[in-house]
Formats: sequence, structure tokens, C-alpha cells
Amino acid sequence: MKKTITKFLAGGMAASMMLNLAACGGSSTATNDSASTTAAQGATEAAQGATEAAKTAAETVAKSDGGNGTTLRISWWGGDSRHTATLKALDEYMAANPGIKVESEYGAWSGWQDKIATQIAGNSEPDLFQVNWNWLWQFSPDGTRFADIQDLTDFDLSQYDQSLIDLMTIDGHVLGVPVSSTGRVFYWNKATFEKAGLEVPKSFADILAAGPVFKEKLGDDYYPLAAGTYDLTILLTYYMQEKYNKQWVVDHKLNYTVEELTDGFDFLKSLEANHVIPTQEKLTGDGADSLDKNPNFIDGHYAGLVEWDSAIKKLADALDENQEIVIGEYPADYGTPATVFKISMGFAVSPNSANKEEAAKLMEYMFNGDGVETLGLERGVPSSHKAQEKLEASGALQGLTYEAFKAASSNAPFQLSPYYEDAALKDSAEGAYQEIMDTMSYDGVDSKELAEMLIEAVNEVEGK
Amino acid sequence: MSNSKTNTAPNSFWKENKGFLFIFPWFVGFLVFKGYPFLSSLVYSFSDYNLFEGISKWGIFNYLDVFTNKKIQEGFMITFKYAFMTVPLKLVFALFVAYILNFKIKGVKMFRTVYYIPSILGSSVAIAVLWKAIFKDDGIVNMLLGIFGLEGPHWLSNKSAALFIICLLRVWQFGSTMVIFLAALKGVSPDLYEAASLDGAGKWRQFFTITVPMITPVIFYNLVTQLVQAFQEFNGPYIITAGGPRGATTLVSLLIYNNAFKKYAMGLASSQAWVLFIILMIFTAILQYSQKHWVYYSDSED
Repeated sequence: MKKTITKFLAGGMAASMMLNLAACGGSSTATNDSASTTAAQGATEAAQGATEAAKTAAETVAKSDGGNGTTLRISWWGGDSRHTATLKALDEYMAANPGIKVESEYGAWSGWQDKIATQIAGNSEPDLFQVNWNWLWQFSPDGTRFADIQDLTDFDLSQYDQSLIDLMTIDGHVLGVPVSSTGRVFYWNKATFEKAGLEVPKSFADILAAGPVFKEKLGDDYYPLAAGTYDLTILLTYYMQEKYNKQWVVDHKLNYTVEELTDGFDFLKSLEANHVIPTQEKLTGDGADSLDKNPNFIDGHYAGLVEWDSAIKKLADALDENQEIVIGEYPADYGTPATVFKISMGFAVSPNSANKEEAAKLMEYMFNGDGVETLGLERGVPSSHKAQEKLEASGALQGLTYEAFKAASSNAPFQLSPYYEDAALKDSAEGAYQEIMDTMSYDGVDSKELAEMLIEAVNEVEGK
Repeated sequence: MSNSKTNTAPNSFWKENKGFLFIFPWFVGFLVFKGYPFLSSLVYSFSDYNLFEGISKWGIFNYLDVFTNKKIQEGFMITFKYAFMTVPLKLVFALFVAYILNFKIKGVKMFRTVYYIPSILGSSVAIAVLWKAIFKDDGIVNMLLGIFGLEGPHWLSNKSAALFIICLLRVWQFGSTMVIFLAALKGVSPDLYEAASLDGAGKWRQFFTITVPMITPVIFYNLVTQLVQAFQEFNGPYIITAGGPRGATTLVSLLIYNNAFKKYAMGLASSQAWVLFIILMIFTAILQYSQKHWVYYSDSED
């Protein structure tokens, strides 16, 4: 008798555990806020929080005392200094508008997209929130999943260039405020280059020549440049646009022949072969989430990066005391420099919000109004004319961030496709860029094959 | 007479089955959070449900994909490898330590606690992050190896090394399995050992001919539960290696997550979950069936 009971128990246990499993696989498809969605989100947030070494709370809900008027939910991602500035601006807004209570949700970038995606799928997104440019196409392909900013009379859209507004428009709907734009810039660690007895590179020839010198003079673990898989894709884009003087994507197709791209991949391979960049195996083995957290970058072993102009403050802060970061010249060996330049972020309003006009007023305050000075350059150089005037007047429009922005914006003759950063391409676990660049670095696959893989992947996403 | 009988029937039903009231909250939770998603995932697995584009067609294409897509098959292969490496190792290790801790050693309680700690910590995110720090290129493991003049591999970015450290994390959390073994070992009657030692059997002989047969039901239980858990491992690969390098640690559960929350392909993710579920059912059924050949129940009626 007892035997059957024991048997039954063991079987039952196992079955119920597996039930968990199958439920976990698809439950989020069913309920907006089902246990597994929250669990998955929880894991993401927890991971992110832990890696940030408790610096940033994964998700902090800051509530402040307000009247019994309107409550607005706002969310954004970013680093500590952005959080501090934004919270301060919101506090000032609440002080000036006693009827409004703003609840903030913020965290680091890693995992943020997963979080927003589940919120949007469950119609539980905040009233207004920071969006990545490509999200508009990803989450709202028909232009209706975000509120149309043109309908919000309290926000002054005329402060933005029409060309920027066009980039936020799908089917005639303006889906977000183009808060700022950003481009990739070459940054060099002057101290390491000096140690190697070299000038900071000005051309690809200099960069390629620096690799062997670094290896010989400083050692095997010193590299003039470090680039993860996405950085490599950007380097490839830069090289291709400069050399062939053609925009990366035209008419939803990758605008290069297999032969041209083969040349591009040969170029990337020459970087690795010349000891200019570490292999992906070495870089992943460093165990850092991003280059600015990589100890080899912090102490000067990796002496160069290709990063967004808005990242310079973060990078300069990360470096050891005796290291010095400088903005590099764009290499022009093969033609006119053509860096990757895009809308760095926008702000969107939820169509489900009960207080769209209040949300618009808050955005007006943050991006055109009195909040501009408090927010400073925390979201890059603002695109709003009014904001630029205000910052110019207060003398805030200077320094490294502004220099980097000027360099990038004057070296960007081409448009970037909104699908360039689509998750199917850019995602660090599942994206095609990662897959292709790893295939190149780990397996040393033939450049022609890599070119074909990239064309197929990009065209598939663009053709959606 | 007959009247009173009909009156008391519902009353006595509640009297005798009060338990239902107590499990009612659980039952509702189970239906809403487990039962409904469980069934809906089955339905979705036959559709091309995308989180943002909805459903446009129905069919068994997801299942065909699971059995033809190289990446998914690789995911399943790695999961099998992972499970078949970690489960036996963990069981043997847990049993071994439990056996030692079953002796009357000084401070045995402290040892038990110490060995149990990893299984409390192990599944947490913090430990996964710590694991990453230990095994990164300039982490403590490579430093220690360096003292002995050895050069460690890139633990996090070498294909086989990465899978190895993920497995190690699981084996390290042998505490709860150990505690269950320990309880079973305590349940083995000392008379048997006494009789055996009178007959001149040594410790090893006693272990294999008395201990192991007597605790086979618990071995069976641990085997099934550990197998099921191993197939569901998520945290380790997600946080430590993010499934890399080159997909070498992308276990099925991580792949399901990626498909569902990175690609928003809920239909495909659901079908993968169901294939995993069926595989586990088959394994459990095989183990259940094999019971009668190797599991010994002392109070068996036959």
C-alpha cells in the first residue's frame, strides 16, 4: 500500500514540476501580468541590479507627496547621473504644479527593452516614457501603438527640425519626440598611446600600424582598439559608407554587393590579424557587461573605442586617474568619413493614458521649458531649438560631450535605417550581428560567406 | 427519517471535506496562474502568435521548426548534455557527503549547515554574478592557477569551459539533495548494519549491499526531481554567459525565453516548451516503469 503511495507521490511531484515548466514557456502569451512574465522580468531586473553592483536600483518607484490631483507615470533608462538630474527636474515640476504627482520608474539599459516590451504587450506602459528610436517600428509598425504627438496641443513640436520629426513618423503619425541624436565617435586613450611612443591615430593606416607596436612595446594584452560584436558592425558600416560612398540601407535592402561586403569583412579581419582589436573570445572572457565596465579599458590596456558621442562622460569617468580620453579624428583613408548617426532617444506617450495632455505638458517642461537647464546634456545634446538656446545662454553647451556631438553630426552624410537596431539584428543573445561577428572571430569563416549571411539577415528584417 | 437524511447530506459533505476550503485559495491560484497559461500555451503552440503582430495562421509549423531548426536542436542537445552531466554527478556527490555526515563526527551539525548553504544561495542571481566574477579572465580561479604556473582557459568564452562552469554551479548546489539522502540514511535500521558487521562485512560492502538498496526509493525520487530541474535550468546560463559563447550554453529554457521575449515569437516558444514537457514526461515514464527493477520498498506487499 505504502509503496503505491510513495510511487504516486514521486510521480505527482514530477508531473506538477513539469506543469510549471510548460506553463512558464507560454504563460505570458495568455495573461498580461501572469506570474511568469513577472518572474522573467524579475530575473532581468535582478540581474541588471546585481551587475550594477547595487549602484542603481533595478526599478525604483520614487513617490513623492502630491495633492490628490493627477498622477503621471514616467519611465526611462540611463546611468546614475541621468537618474539624479531627471528626478531633480521632476521634483521641481511637482513643486511648481501642486496638482500633479509624477511616479518614476528607471533603471539601466540592460534588460530595459524586455521590460518595456512586456508592458506594451500588456497595455500597462507608463503615461510617458523614453523610447529607443527603433522601438517605434518594432512595437508600432502601423503607427498606432503610441499616441500621435501632433494631437497633443500642449507640446510644441515646432522646436524640432522637420527632418527629425520625419524620422519619428510612421504613416503620418508622429510617434515620439526626437529628444536628441547621436553618432559614433572614435575615442582614444592618450596615455596608453604615449606609453607606446605613438601619436593618437588619425587614419586607418595609423590604427593598423599601432597594433604591432602595441604588441611589441607594451605586451600581448594591449590593444589600440576594442570592439564588441555591435561595435564591429558599426565599424563595418563606417568603412563601407566611407569607401563606397553609399548609404548602408536603401529601399529596404542592404546597399552593397557580396564582393563589396567581402572587402568589408576582410578589413575587419585585418584589424584582428594586426593585433588592433582583441578577439571576441578574449573580450567575452573579460566578463564585463560593456566596454566601459571592462577592467582592461579602465586601466588602459584597451586604448580605443568606437562609441556614441553621448557616452564620453561615462567613459571618461570610468577611466583610471592617470588615463586620458580624447576625441579622435575620423579616419578618411578611403573617402569621406560617414559615421553611424541616429536619433539617440525619443519620448513617447501611451495611447492608453488617461492624462495625455498632462503628459504633453510634462514633456514640454522637460524638453522645451524650464526643465532643460536641470536636465542639461544628460540625454545628449537636445535637438529642441529652444533647449539649445537656453543651454547656449547658460554656458552649458560646451565640453567634451558637445565637442563629440559636433564631430559626429558634421561627419554623418547618410541616414540610418530605423531597422538597423532591430532586436533580430542587434540583440546580444539572438541577433544576427552577434552571430555573424562571432562566426568571424571564433571560426574564421570565409569573408564571402559572412557577407552573404549579413545581406540575408539585414534584408529579411528590412523586408518585414 | 428520510427527510432528515437529505438535509444532513450537504452538511456532512462539508464536514468531511473541510480540506477543500483550505486549499481553495491555492486551487484558484493554480487554475489562473498555472492551468490557464498551461492550456493556452498549448493552443498558441499551434499558431504563429507574435506579441506585437498577433496571430495570422494556424498549423503545426512550429513543431516542424523545432525538429528541423539547427539552433533549436542544438539547444536540446546541450540541455541533454547538461542534464546527463549534472544529475548523476550531483546525486553521487550528495550521497557521498550525506554518507560521511551520517557518521558521528565532532561538529557534524556545523558541517551539515555549511554544505547546505550553497543550495540556498545557489539559485540566486547574486551567486550567478559571483560565479561570473570568479571565472572571468582575471578572476580568482585563473589567479590561483597562475600561482601554480598554469594558464587557465577563457572560462566564460571558451565553448566547453563555459558549459563546464554552468554545470559546476549546479553540482555545487547539492545541499537539498544531500539533506533528503541524509534523512533516508537515518531511516535505515541500525540492526542491519550490526548484523552485517557481525558477519564481517566492511564499510564499503555495507554501503553497497545495505545502504544503497534500502534507500533506492529516495534515490529514485531525487533522480526524477533533479532531472526535471536540470532540464529547466535558466538563471545560470542567462546571467553568467547569456547563452554564449556561440550558443554553447543556450539551454532550452533560455532559448524559450529568447524566442518569447527577444523575438516575441510566442507561438514558437510555446511549442518548444511543450516539446520539452513531452520529453520530460517520457523520461519520467521510463523511470517510473524501471522502478520495479531496481527500487526496493521494504514494506512491499508482493
